[in-house]
Amino acid sequence: MADKNMRFLVVDDFSTMRRIVRNLLKELGFTNVDEAEDGQVALHKLKTQHFDFIVSDWNMPNMTGIELLRAVRADQQIKHLPFMMITAEAKRENIIEAAMAGASGYIVKPFTAATLEEKLNKIFQTLNK
Amino acid sequence: MPDHILESGDSPELEALFDSIATQQAVEPEAAQPADSNSAAPSLPEDVSPAVMYEQIGQLTRRLHDMLRDMGYDKSLEKVAEAIPDAKDRLGYIATLTENAAERVLNATDLAKPLQDAMEASAKGLGDRWNQLYANQLSVEEFKKLADDTRQYLANVPQQTQATNTQLLEIVMAQDFQDLTGQVIKKMMGMVKLLETELVTFLIEFSPGTKKAEIDPLLNGPVVNPEGRGDVVTSQQQVDDLLESLGF
Repeated sequence: MADKNMRFLVVDDFSTMRRIVRNLLKELGFTNVDEAEDGQVALHKLKTQHFDFIVSDWNMPNMTGIELLRAVRADQQIKHLPFMMITAEAKRENIIEAAMAGASGYIVKPFTAATLEEKLNKIFQTLNK
Repeated sequence: MPDHILESGDSPELEALFDSIATQQAVEPEAAQPADSNSAAPSLPEDVSPAVMYEQIGQLTRRLHDMLRDMGYDKSLEKVAEAIPDAKDRLGYIATLTENAAERVLNATDLAKPLQDAMEASAKGLGDRWNQLYANQLSVEEFKKLADDTRQYLANVPQQTQATNTQLLEIVMAQDFQDLTGQVIKKMMGMVKLLETELVTFLIEFSPGTKKAEIDPLLNGPVVNPEGRGDVVTSQQQVDDLLESLGF
């Protein structure tokens, strides 16, 4: 079972979406959640604070989710962090691109609470192996 | 539609929107006239430098304009030209309204959730104690206290359900944007359709037939119409299947 105190970073340029993801995480027992409105802000937070899990949108200004993912995977300090993509981008190329760049999970919007829970659990299982 | 909303008098944003539309419409008729006036019949471009291309476009526009006027289309195009600045404001208006609605709903659930949680916890607690009573595990004193607590709980429930109902109503009321955005979107669909028809005519007549490459193939946003497209997924299951087939 995953540690309920683990710290999440939710990255999305829409505050509504950040709030929804935050609420869903809270429902699942994860209350330790911080937010960032784009990849740039997120990367700064990731480098200066401790996080255990990243949930990110793809299409954002300044720095997109895929750029953030690549930056995270290229950084020795944070490259191990699980990275879940939650996005409206539904082209096969997108999914393949994200997987190749090292995404831990890929959820297409609109999504349900059950999907989020299932994908999180799958990632936790992989982590515990 | 703006009049109808102004009557309710609750939105300064809306008044500002109305004013900006009114100003733009006053300016618009001049902008609808293309600048280029001499109209020698243009030949189609072969080897095009940007300057030549722009001039060609100017001439084509003029010719198109004349042609459309001959066919009686100029009035409809004028309508489109007038509608564009209006439409931009209206799209911004939709973005604001939908965002506000989402905020209202999330606020309401934030308020209602603790009430529900508290009622659930109390009911569970009382239920457990009643079970103890039926298992003969309570003293007379404890039973009296349980009866008292239960009575008080029952007295409190309507107050809490009313508070929750208030938030449910708030959620319902937050959907009032649908009516407004629906009207605006319908109006814009009409405009876009008109614009599309005119542009297609233009392209069929003057396009050299080369297709432009997509700018960023990975930033497309939501798939609005997946029908007949093999390059997009339409469900989470398909995402999972694809990832699995790749060994992830």
